[in-house]
Amino acid sequence: MLIIACPYCGPRPELEFRYGGEAHVARPVDPSTLSDEDWGAFLYQRANPRGLHAERWRHVHGCGRFFNALRDTTTDFFAATYETGTPRPAGTPADGETSR
Amino acid sequence: MIIVGAGGHGLATAYYLATVHGITNVAVLEKGWLGGGNTGRNTTIVRSNYLFDESAGLYDHAVKLWEGLSQELNYNVMFSQRGVLMLAHNIHDVQSFKRHVHANRLNGVDNEWLTAEECRDFCPPLNIDASTMRYPVLGGALQRRAGTARHDAVAWGYARGADARGVDIIQNCAVTGIRRGPDGAVTGVETSRGFIGAKKVGVVAAGNTSVVMAMAGQRMPLESYPLQALVSEPIKPIFPCVVMSNTIHAYISQSDKGELVIGAGTDAYTSYTQRGALHITTHTLDAICELFPMFRRMRMLRNWGGIVDVTPDRSPIIAKTGVSGLYVNCGWGTGGFKATPGSGHVFAHTIAKDEPHPINAPFTIDRFRDGFLIDEAAAAAVAH
Amino acid sequence: MADLSTMRTPAIEALVTASPASHLAALTALPPRTRFSFRGRPAAVTAFGTVLGFDLPQVACRFAEDGARRALWLGPDEWLVTLPDREATAFAGAAATALAGLPSSLVDVSQRSLALAVSGPMAARIINAGCPLDLSPDAFPVGMCTRTLLGKAEIVLSRTDEARFEIDVWRSFADYVWRLLEEARREFV
Ligand SMILES: Cc1cc2nc3c(=O)[nH]c(=O)nc-3n(C[C@H](O)[C@H](O)[C@H](O)COP(=O)(O)OP(=O)(O)OC[C@H]3O[C@@H](n4cnc5c(N)ncnc54)[C@H](O)[C@@H]3O)c2cc1C
Ligand SMILES: [Zn+2]
Repeated sequence: MLIIACPYCGPRPELEFRYGGEAHVARPVDPSTLSDEDWGAFLYQRANPRGLHAERWRHVHGCGRFFNALRDTTTDFFAATYETGTPRPAGTPADGETSR
Repeated sequence: MIIVGAGGHGLATAYYLATVHGITNVAVLEKGWLGGGNTGRNTTIVRSNYLFDESAGLYDHAVKLWEGLSQELNYNVMFSQRGVLMLAHNIHDVQSFKRHVHANRLNGVDNEWLTAEECRDFCPPLNIDASTMRYPVLGGALQRRAGTARHDAVAWGYARGADARGVDIIQNCAVTGIRRGPDGAVTGVETSRGFIGAKKVGVVAAGNTSVVMAMAGQRMPLESYPLQALVSEPIKPIFPCVVMSNTIHAYISQSDKGELVIGAGTDAYTSYTQRGALHITTHTLDAICELFPMFRRMRMLRNWGGIVDVTPDRSPIIAKTGVSGLYVNCGWGTGGFKATPGSGHVFAHTIAKDEPHPINAPFTIDRFRDGFLIDEAAAAAVAH
Repeated sequence: MADLSTMRTPAIEALVTASPASHLAALTALPPRTRFSFRGRPAAVTAFGTVLGFDLPQVACRFAEDGARRALWLGPDEWLVTLPDREATAFAGAAATALAGLPSSLVDVSQRSLALAVSGPMAARIINAGCPLDLSPDAFPVGMCTRTLLGKAEIVLSRTDEARFEIDVWRSFADYVWRLLEEARREFV
């Protein structure tokens, strides 16, 4: 079982968390001005990289809060967790790079 | 022509390119070994009782090809139409399965409703004693033409058939880039063993589709999740059919070797690790033990994971792409094995003719822009 | 607020009565208490503390108590406050006054859950039969509390003593949780 470091509660077992999909996918401010192409891309296209992935998690059976994480999808190793609303931590490799 | 991925779908595509379209200058490139991806990891359930017309057309096309496949390939793929029984545990299940039964019949696909007692008669190990169950069995939908097949044999049979007609199957050859000309059209692929030129490239890379398509600058409506299965120690023949329960998330059949073959739902987060979390499989075994108390003392021998590429509507994509000469067959999620012959057949048509076969015409990438989803996810949330 | 206290019956009365004793791992149902869920930003948190009589704990996963009142940190802006039923009405009134104009939420959730205690030298082991947390005293010291899982049920777990834990569980899950703990206790009764 993975141990995930909640930014609020510290390291906790995977069972207490829910995955929330790719992070930093900003909802367009004014959808009605978007082309069908862009709206479809916002709704459905995802990076889905092999390697580091910025993603949302919720500590649903703990503090209840959403937060973001950088996880390597080839190892499930968590490189970082950080609060929602803060940018991806500086100095970390880009999507698809490996964590170690 | 190049096919990326020697899973069942890729090999079937090559086979039908050769047999139906007479195109044999084809290389199937595989980064690992034949059928080492999801083809060799899946629980082999074959059925076609999907809700929507488009799906019924596609999956029943496949079942019809399955019915003659051992003959056609002269290779025993051990297709066994032992029936797939899908259990209903609550009123919502009952209503949704009955709707499926009616929709399927209108589409000429067999599917029938059984009471709980009829379910038990069809599958004697099934527990239908409501007083002992958290989620009692209220009935089930049975497709008698559905069943299982031997996964490796499907890969080997198609590989042998394609090879015999001149197709090159190259293992240990990972595609690392897709080269495009000044007009944007595909000119070939970079691989771990050098460049190979080709005017047409068909990507059939299952869980790795996003990664391969990114090599051509294409973003996909896909996410890749681990899906796990496990088998028990072998026992004498005891289990006559396939039973699936989506509500309590378990499905089971018995292989010809005697092992109980058990499958779980997808793991909770995207990953390429080809393994999964143990709590997912133990949860599945909880459900199996409640449905089949006689298996409570069985020991499990092996468990493993495969990486499945999931679309937002849980229906596949078999289509041309935004890049001229690039075709993609993906998004089969947890349930593409059953479609292997049909998928290869219509994808070969799509590549050969540069236009889709009528059966796969609705399964475009553009449906996620235009809103024409084929929403099997919402219809039943049933996969496999 | 309607007085529902007289209508409250433990959802697990029969199980409690039939439960075998054990000094290694005792399982008991705790008497009813009033529970408030409080959420708010710092200004409201300070104001709420004055009504409560002590500051809400700011350290993650810790509870604070004074006399019969206890406040459990459940999230960065969320606390569970418990107090005797007889203080409830006056407390709610005073809190409403103190919080006027300060964005916050105070909800009486007394009926939602009930409380159990597991105590004795084997207490941590019993809870670990269904809870994945590290309950060694270093990792989960006295004064710690958190939402977590016990089997398939969500609980609020707090350690009130080296060898005593309290469990807050939703009423409809109480039967399941009690039976799960009984099963874990079997070798110690
Ligand atoms: C545990 C499990 C149970 C399942 N149960 C069922 C079931 O009961 N019924 C059902 O219908 N379906 C089931 N499925 C789904 C089914 O297995 C898949 O939908 C199907 O196998 C996909 O077929 P494929 O041949 O395209 O995939 P694969 O066999 O995965 O083939 C894709 C191939 O592409 C190769 N590849 C990837 N990237 C590259 C690259 N860059 N270069 C070269 N090669 C590459 C891979 O190595 C792989 O061999 C299950 C899947 C799993 C994991
Ligand atoms: Zn937390």
